[in-house]
Amino acid sequence: MSKVRWPRLVLYLFALFALVLSACSNQTEGDAEQDGDNDSTSEEQVKITLGFYSSGSADQKMEELINKFEQAHPNIKVKTQNAPYSQFFQKLDTQIAGGTAPDVWLSDGVFVQKYAERGAAKDLTEWINNDLNKDEYYGLDFNKDADGKYWAVPQGIQIGALFYNKDMFDKAGVDYPDDSWTWDDLKEAGAKLTLDANDNDANASSFDTSTVKQFGLTFFNITEGWMPVLKSYGGGVLGDELKNSIVDSTENKEAMNWIVDGMERGILTDPADLQAFQSPMSPFPSETAAMRIGIYARVLAANETGVNYDVTVLPKGPSGERFSPVIANSWIISESASDAKAQAAWEWIKYWVTEDKVQREWAELGEAVPVKKSVANSDLFLGSGEKPENKQAFLDSFDFAGTLDVNAVWSEWVKVFGDNVNRAFLGETSVDDALEEADQEVQKVLDEFYNNQ
Amino acid sequence: MANPSKIEHNKPTQPTEPKQKKRLTHEGKWGLIMISPYLIHFVVFIAFTLLASFYFSLSKYDMLNAPEFIGIGNYTKLVNDQVFWQALGNTVYFTVLFVPAQTILALILAVALNQQLRGLKLFRMAHFIPVISSWTVVLYVADAIFNPRFGLANTVLSKIGMSQQQWLNDEMLVIPVLVVVAVWKGIGYMMVIFLAGLQNVPEDLYEAAEIEGAGVLKKFRHVTIPLISGTTFLVLVLSTITTFQAFEQIYVMTGNGGDITAAGGPNNSSMVLMLYLFQQGFAFLKMGYASAIAWVLFIILFIITLIQVKLQNKWVHYEK
Repeated sequence: MSKVRWPRLVLYLFALFALVLSACSNQTEGDAEQDGDNDSTSEEQVKITLGFYSSGSADQKMEELINKFEQAHPNIKVKTQNAPYSQFFQKLDTQIAGGTAPDVWLSDGVFVQKYAERGAAKDLTEWINNDLNKDEYYGLDFNKDADGKYWAVPQGIQIGALFYNKDMFDKAGVDYPDDSWTWDDLKEAGAKLTLDANDNDANASSFDTSTVKQFGLTFFNITEGWMPVLKSYGGGVLGDELKNSIVDSTENKEAMNWIVDGMERGILTDPADLQAFQSPMSPFPSETAAMRIGIYARVLAANETGVNYDVTVLPKGPSGERFSPVIANSWIISESASDAKAQAAWEWIKYWVTEDKVQREWAELGEAVPVKKSVANSDLFLGSGEKPENKQAFLDSFDFAGTLDVNAVWSEWVKVFGDNVNRAFLGETSVDDALEEADQEVQKVLDEFYNNQ
Repeated sequence: MANPSKIEHNKPTQPTEPKQKKRLTHEGKWGLIMISPYLIHFVVFIAFTLLASFYFSLSKYDMLNAPEFIGIGNYTKLVNDQVFWQALGNTVYFTVLFVPAQTILALILAVALNQQLRGLKLFRMAHFIPVISSWTVVLYVADAIFNPRFGLANTVLSKIGMSQQQWLNDEMLVIPVLVVVAVWKGIGYMMVIFLAGLQNVPEDLYEAAEIEGAGVLKKFRHVTIPLISGTTFLVLVLSTITTFQAFEQIYVMTGNGGDITAAGGPNNSSMVLMLYLFQQGFAFLKMGYASAIAWVLFIILFIITLIQVKLQNKWVHYEK
């Protein structure tokens, strides 16, 4: 009997590898598909595959816009491939490995360099220089590398601002934030807005940090957490070339001390506080926090729950510097696309960014700041009547906006940096030690990729 | 010297070879055809992928570019990788807590449900529901208990005057909490396997034991346990393998809102091998390194299973 079980047992062991190797099995299937494409291609017609990650209503709108594009370009046929966000990029990576990548795909802004620096994305510099008037668009430069090459064209822009709950401010008798605020002003106001189970605020001597029921500011990892604070204090994670760590700086220490002090006093949510919510995004829309650092897309959740809120620009650092984090979700053309397909894909990108009609329809979904400045500055975006009232704050933030030090190994350095600073946030280690450790580990990640160590 | 003698030695056996071949084509033809779907599946999806993953484990491979052969570089890197050792340690810790807990509790449950109880089917179903639920659903139930702010566990602790815990956000508690939830999810399945084993124990053995004057405990120890030892062996092997492959649970329960790079926390204290493999391969595009981890995992599992199989001669009883 024991002998009979062996093959099955071995099978269980082997099943482990199916995961790692899905890339290989895709290859044969993909090749066949591509051959088929070539056979059926008539002289004029170009078929392209377009990949995008989907989210509910946006799906349908995307299909509609693609249909309109096909009508306007009868020689181009678009086949779409979509998947939910988290699966989309896994699938995309295996597709690229198997040589079956979509000809054009939508990339999260933080992943553009991952594809660009590994040779999977087409250099779009020439096309952009020839076909687009750069002054007309937001965010083109966020996909530009240190050598001045453009790798992608924004599809919609996420930019950070300060969200605040008007009702909570009114109740606490605190003035609304404005563009004069520094981070210290925020903390001072935040202390009055932080309440424990007995309604003591964070300034009260009897305040109990273990029973906070309303936080001053919800603080969530990189974009909506430490990056804007570090940068406006004059610090940051990577140097200008994005290949070396600048973590262990006095500016960063100052910024980190501001954060840790806020967490110790219960004004800012720490990682353990966030764990208590079903989603770390929920404290603001569920009215458990009076303020949040939020990208544009967060208006959707806030509007859904009907919070009475508005936005303003993010606070200044001690020397008056300001920083607004940007994620420019963008269209990438596959390096492996044939010339004809790449050309057709470029037509789609041009159609997307230049056509007012497309930009307006997409803007109506309210997911992102429109790429085309004329549409973003129009009443459609600014005066839609939906909250927040001061959408202008998002546009003003472009004056001091920057990326999240995005490079080819972004996810990896974010992980090691985050692990280390979280230890400081939870009071398990000092700010100095956390930054020193993070500095070494981030540099190791960078060296491994850029210096091949 | 050795070669010529070998050839000579082989000569007399040669005439028998065609005979063997002929017999295979006659009798084995249909057999081969019948198992060909399995064989093709094995070659394409298992043998080929195994070889490919072994090659990747000896390469620098980011999925977006062709693999670049680097010899045993990934393996030497593994030896010096602190997080890998931590992940291995966590995996072993998880297994050591989980396997005995699940096996013993599943056996107790199965024995209880093997009685002539009223509402037996209802009890069986109740224990089986977590098995067929997805991890996401289980997470919601687990969260209702272990949420540090709103959870039942902390409410109970504070009611009896004990200090509240951070549960999944506490480096010491995270694995025990994960094990408790995993046992709850998996116990129904193992219980059903045990039930099948228990129902195969012949009634007359119990009767004979009773005549000899054995009580309930003695019957359990001397009749039930030896006769279901084959089943116990199966449960042990299956449990060990599933814990070494534990991934989805930890990803869902510790990855703040489905973020793969956040999973395994706090401070890698719940990082297990499968999670580390997935993170390195798919989040950081180090597929060569991930393949090396997979091979190490395979070898560990293979050795453990081998040991379990060897040890079974000492305690597993099969009816002859």
